[in-house]
Amino acid sequence: MKLVWQNPLTLIGFIIITSILLLAAIAPLIAPYDPNAINVKAILLAPSQLHLMGTDGLGRDVFSRMLYGARISLMVGFVAVGIATLIGIVLGAIAGFYRGWVDTLIMRTVDVMLSIPTFFLILAVIAFLSPSIWNIMIVIGLTSWMGVTRLVRAEFLSLRNREFVLAAQALGAKDFRLIFGHLLPNSLTPIIVSSILGIASAVLVESGLSFLGLGVQAPQASWGNILTDGKEYIQFAWWLSLFPGLAILLTVLGYNLLGDGLRDAYNPRSNQH
Amino acid sequence: MASYLLKRILWMVPLLVGISLISFFIMHLAPGDITTSEASFNPKASEESRQKLRALYNLDKPVIVQYGLWVKRLAKLDFGTSFASHQRPVFWQTTDKDGNVTLGMIQEALPITLLINVLSLLLIIGIALPLGVISALKQNQWPDRGITLFVFLGFAIPGFWLALMLMYWTGVQHSWLPISGLESMGHENLTWPAQIWDTLQHLVLPVFISAITGLAGISLFVRNGMLDVLHQDYITTARAKGLNENKIIYGHALRNALLPLITIFGLSIPGLIGGSVIAESIFAIPGMGKLFYDAVLMRDFPVIMGILTIGAILTMLGNLLADISYAWADPRVRRGVM
Repeated sequence: MKLVWQNPLTLIGFIIITSILLLAAIAPLIAPYDPNAINVKAILLAPSQLHLMGTDGLGRDVFSRMLYGARISLMVGFVAVGIATLIGIVLGAIAGFYRGWVDTLIMRTVDVMLSIPTFFLILAVIAFLSPSIWNIMIVIGLTSWMGVTRLVRAEFLSLRNREFVLAAQALGAKDFRLIFGHLLPNSLTPIIVSSILGIASAVLVESGLSFLGLGVQAPQASWGNILTDGKEYIQFAWWLSLFPGLAILLTVLGYNLLGDGLRDAYNPRSNQH
Repeated sequence: MASYLLKRILWMVPLLVGISLISFFIMHLAPGDITTSEASFNPKASEESRQKLRALYNLDKPVIVQYGLWVKRLAKLDFGTSFASHQRPVFWQTTDKDGNVTLGMIQEALPITLLINVLSLLLIIGIALPLGVISALKQNQWPDRGITLFVFLGFAIPGFWLALMLMYWTGVQHSWLPISGLESMGHENLTWPAQIWDTLQHLVLPVFISAITGLAGISLFVRNGMLDVLHQDYITTARAKGLNENKIIYGHALRNALLPLITIFGLSIPGLIGGSVIAESIFAIPGMGKLFYDAVLMRDFPVIMGILTIGAILTMLGNLLADISYAWADPRVRRGVM
């Protein structure tokens, strides 16, 4: 673990992510206003001591909405990637462990999924299923498992005939035990790295959907839909567009720095660079 | 090589069937259809007339029968007509009995999206290649660190936000650039060089926005590829026999580092097509992304299916082209050594 923190960029990523997680967790404690409270006397106020990030077109406090929006963005990232990783592990393990026709079937399905412009598919499904936060998380998860599947399969293929696996098998270990007791624990690092990078792209997809009006619906705040509101007022209220954009940028940057740093630390080949 | 190509092309058929099946069933499992969205425009539409409409579009039949009908028409390259926009053909133009030509929706939208993507690809190659090479040659010095910072920011910046900021800054505050559509008012009255100049100005922001993520990705890719290659034995050999350093870098290292880039470009096509939704709806550009977005909101099934299918075909053709170029560029693959 010591190796990981030698890279200052990884540390910066870690600090960014933990700070945002912390802020999201204690949002109800530190939010100065109710994020959905409409105040007609405080419409489109510029940032001040009273409203750190100003107010929006309905007089809602942007700072409070940003804090609650962080919860949405983080949750979408975690749950969507959790679903994708779970599917990827199961399918990749089956393909890599049993090989043969199951492997062919699974990998060809991966090829099919990779040939569809995924954002189009997500857009279509969300529009049809009414955009709710749960639908968004499930759909992003169901359309982003292909990378993990390939990864787990490749790991399993390379580990399958190692001595420690063959030894366990010779000692009479069942398939289930081989997969979950021996092969999977030894493939965890690349899975974790790809999950962290996956969260980053899920956050981007969610904010993109919200921006198109097909994401988290008002009055619930998400960084994407604060930005959409901001679009209308861009000429007289820059704060409505600036802060959510920066928050998304910072979050994605944090996850990418952390994921890349972990990969470099555990991948001796890329250490040479 | 020929048998390999044939196999690859034949393989595209089951792949396409799989893609269309997935898209079709997802589309039809969701509640609601075109009559739901049409009815919201015309609340007086009775249940009876909605049933008539469903019968007209075959929406009252089981999904599997609808899929069969769709495939049957597709076999004749007929993607059907749009539900929402007055029966316009989805894919290619049709001529009615009076000789009036109706242009296809994809026929009009696809060239626009392709133009933007080709231009942004050129921009990516033009900027990312030098950046990647400089970064690798100056490894861990300040140019490398600066470029790495740019790469991380490029990956993390939400394209729609950057688009919004640039629109505001270059379009609203300074009016340097037009910010919506592809043509200014009165475009038809301009001379053709002025028309091209006008369209080019409209293309600056959308092309830049489409390129930004790729720019970051390809710079990083070229950098890492160069670093990998520079540590190979044949580079040491080339240095040992006293070859000029420029020749080593551009003649030996860069050529080998660029090989995998061909595959990357092939793989990035679905992302480019998918990414066009956001850029095109922000800048009001009538391309594939905008068309898809509008079709999705109207539940215009034939248009949605048409775009997904054409997108998938483009992706597969892109991958095929990438493999062929790879074989052409790498003599080891060409001669079947690998």
